[in-house]
Amino acid sequence: MRRRTGFWAALAAPGTLWIVALFAVPFYAVAAVAFGYTDPVFNSPVPEWDPRYWDLTAFGEILDRSLTGDLRPVFLRTFLYVLLALAVCLLVGYPVAYYLARHAGRRRGLLLALILAPWWVNYITRMLAWLNLLQDDGYVNDLLLLTRLVDEPVRWLSGNPVTVVLALVYGYIPFFIVPLFSALDRIDERLLEAARDLGCSGRRAFWHVTLPLSRPGLMTAGAITALPMFGDYYTNSLVSGSPTTTMIANQIEFYLLGGTRKELGASLVLLLSALLMVLMAYYLVSSRRAEEAGA
Amino acid sequence: MRRRPLVLATVTWAYVVWSLVPVLIAIQFSFNDGKSRSTWQGFSFQWYAGNPNSVAGDPSLRLALVNSLVLATLTTLIATPLGVAMALGLARWKGRTSRAANGLMLLPLATPEIVMGSALYLVFTNLYLFVPLGMPAQVLGHVTFSVSYVVVIVRSRLVSIGTDYEEAARDLGCGRLTALRLIVLPLLAPAVFAGAMIVFASSMDDFVISAFLSPDASSATVPIKLYSAVRNAPSPALNALATLLLVGSAVALVLAWLVLRRRTGSKALEQLASL
Amino acid sequence: MPPSIDRRKFLLVSALAGVTAACGSDPTRRPSAASAVPLSRTDSPAALPLHDDVPMIANGLSPESGGTLKLLNYAEYISPDVVKKFGKEHGVEVEITTFTTMDEAIAKLRTAGTSFDVWFPTPDVIAKAAVGKLVQPLNKTYLGNLGNAWPQLQNPFYDEGSRYTVPYNAYTTGIGYRADKVKEVTGYDLLWNPAYNGKAYLIDDAREALALAMLKNGSIEINTEEPGKITKAGAWLTELVDLMNIKVGVTAYQYIPEGQATVHHCWSGDMVNAQSYLPKGVEADVLGYWYPDDNTGVVGTDAMAVPRGATKPVLAHLLINHLLDNAVAQENFSYTGYQPALTAITPEKMVTDEFVTEQLKSTIVTPEVYARSQQIFQISPAAEALWNDSWAQFKAGQ
Repeated sequence: MRRRTGFWAALAAPGTLWIVALFAVPFYAVAAVAFGYTDPVFNSPVPEWDPRYWDLTAFGEILDRSLTGDLRPVFLRTFLYVLLALAVCLLVGYPVAYYLARHAGRRRGLLLALILAPWWVNYITRMLAWLNLLQDDGYVNDLLLLTRLVDEPVRWLSGNPVTVVLALVYGYIPFFIVPLFSALDRIDERLLEAARDLGCSGRRAFWHVTLPLSRPGLMTAGAITALPMFGDYYTNSLVSGSPTTTMIANQIEFYLLGGTRKELGASLVLLLSALLMVLMAYYLVSSRRAEEAGA
Repeated sequence: MRRRPLVLATVTWAYVVWSLVPVLIAIQFSFNDGKSRSTWQGFSFQWYAGNPNSVAGDPSLRLALVNSLVLATLTTLIATPLGVAMALGLARWKGRTSRAANGLMLLPLATPEIVMGSALYLVFTNLYLFVPLGMPAQVLGHVTFSVSYVVVIVRSRLVSIGTDYEEAARDLGCGRLTALRLIVLPLLAPAVFAGAMIVFASSMDDFVISAFLSPDASSATVPIKLYSAVRNAPSPALNALATLLLVGSAVALVLAWLVLRRRTGSKALEQLASL
Repeated sequence: MPPSIDRRKFLLVSALAGVTAACGSDPTRRPSAASAVPLSRTDSPAALPLHDDVPMIANGLSPESGGTLKLLNYAEYISPDVVKKFGKEHGVEVEITTFTTMDEAIAKLRTAGTSFDVWFPTPDVIAKAAVGKLVQPLNKTYLGNLGNAWPQLQNPFYDEGSRYTVPYNAYTTGIGYRADKVKEVTGYDLLWNPAYNGKAYLIDDAREALALAMLKNGSIEINTEEPGKITKAGAWLTELVDLMNIKVGVTAYQYIPEGQATVHHCWSGDMVNAQSYLPKGVEADVLGYWYPDDNTGVVGTDAMAVPRGATKPVLAHLLINHLLDNAVAQENFSYTGYQPALTAITPEKMVTDEFVTEQLKSTIVTPEVYARSQQIFQISPAAEALWNDSWAQFKAGQ
């Protein structure tokens, strides 16, 4: 018995050790910087490796500013943008994933390939293309003006929050569609047929069978989309660059890459990570519950 | 029998168009006969070759292309076996340590790149001084964020395969390793392939971690060049670079898929979706 | 003759004191890399310390050949052609590593295992680099062309006796605008004019942007260490968030000609450079640059230095000397748009050689402009933190 466990543990060991050495230890380094200080001459972080000497001032300051100070609106804005982006992902992504799983038929392979294709073009290149399209005199405004949907060009790139949210959606929606598709695909057609045989309308079958069964997939899709959005800083700086749309990761970038107090940046990282871990834990717990309920 | 889902079809195709238009525009402007990336000035190959700032003419762009390909290949070669072994191990190994390893494995997926990049930079410059910044550190960093993808994908496939086949093989006298090699690994092949592809693609696409771990221009990758160009002087040569990467990746993907389909007869592409 | 060190000429900064006072953790755990960095000012120049363990190269060495000469510079801040020709002439490859901020450059210089041969620093970090032993003293016997530079930069206030650096470019910070869309050029008020809402940009730099707010509101103390004045400047800047929907960026040379920006806080060289980014059919006379006639403008220079860890220090000296050559500097200028601080490059010459249109003559930096304008100096770490805090608040949209 013990030897059997040993074999599987040995298989898992290299990967686990890798993640410990190159993920857990570096994370400790972030804490060491957050509780350390910045070299005042070179503005470089000086990590404090020894927890006995940890200085919590910077973390306290960040916490304080996040609760009542200038970082509070930034946090709120970040949550709002991510929620809105998730909502759009859901509204667009669910029908797409559903169509793909149920109705695409022979075109399924082609559609999947098309949906995955943007992944193969560099993210920054795609965003640059959007920047061209969204200029005041760009194709998007041309189209909107031509179809009389608007009377004057929309200022997409003038620090417009709508653009930021849509750009986030654009950047991450494949991560949403793909897991959702595989969840919908796994749903047994016979269950739906049974529901219909029992007199359910298509709509009721969807609400009472498909939707509940796709919940785990939705959870995964939501988690896998939302978590990186919280840490995204370049989408925002590419399409907006305005202080009115600053998100939390922009402030992390600001404090970590510039500035004279790297410990503030590292503290902000710790705070954001703590929040994300709460979300992650919620996801893990509820997906396990969903799994158990499903079984 | 079923009504044709017009609304769904419309949404889906509209989405596909929406997601592909910028890609097509980016490709279009790689053929622009001018310095602008927004005003079309006629067709030309000058940003591919001929112009001193073209992909062929600018050694720093060629270097970035090579660096990106080498980095993504090394990352895939290391992360894939590491992740497959870990997925197998974690799926069968029960216990408290295993649960901890399981949780730990998920964390990199939830960690913003900027956090991981800066953290890795700190350890490579303070603790692991034996790893020089540049390609070695970049490979280690990329493998770290990639392993979890492979684990997640391979595990979901493992669950759907179940243990029946393996147990049957064991009953017939196979050793554990032989059963793994002859039964489990071939069944896993599509998932392994899907995982490897995703690792390759995300390594090619990564900007933040590569940039943190790049000490000088000799380890610049395509995304690093692109990002610095956005801030400074974008030229259609960058679109040409991205287009070449797209074509290269697409060819590699199609070839690999064809080979795999012949060997296993399974729908590898759809396996890509079982993230 | 070594210049005598007048202690009162140093604004000595006890970096240690500033930081520990704010934190109160065990001070013995926080050794400072350098207890004192001289803060140079135009009226109190600094001679940077020399170190026994950082020697300059000997006279009359022949240049290294083969391998790679490594430059550390801002992106697009040196002509690739000039560099390529120099490399070919000396049988080396030239590789340019770029950075976006001086902090990033210093981090790269300090990274173990890396080495660079030529670095292009700004004056406000040169003292740090010299005290921190990141750069090596220059051997002037290799730098015959130093005489081409503006006289006041041959012995600059930030590096008395040019021990570690020689000058590179000179530039001013002003307002770039679209002459076809701006009716009245109202100076700094251009950026506070709601007519350009959504089309107005600030330079993405704490010191430059806050200095702009101070100058607009009539204060020329752009190196102040007084918390009240710094906070005030932050508040002035924050007005722009609602009034102008202001954005930050450093690509005026692209946004102005392409029309994405109507008014852009920018460097003079950006507007010179903008001429080569005009879309087809747009004439160069749409480009305008405003810079004040009085003392309320910001002027700056860049420098060239040889990092301590250079593997090709002799060749590095030769490249620096090469870039100080009048003809080479001119060629380099035509690529970067930034004007070399050389006496031979006069305003008349710049117009007759068609480097700038009549309308962009305001981008030209003369020694007279240099003398009357304000400069962004190095300030104490404690003050730097205050400036950054104000900037962070602005960036958070507050």
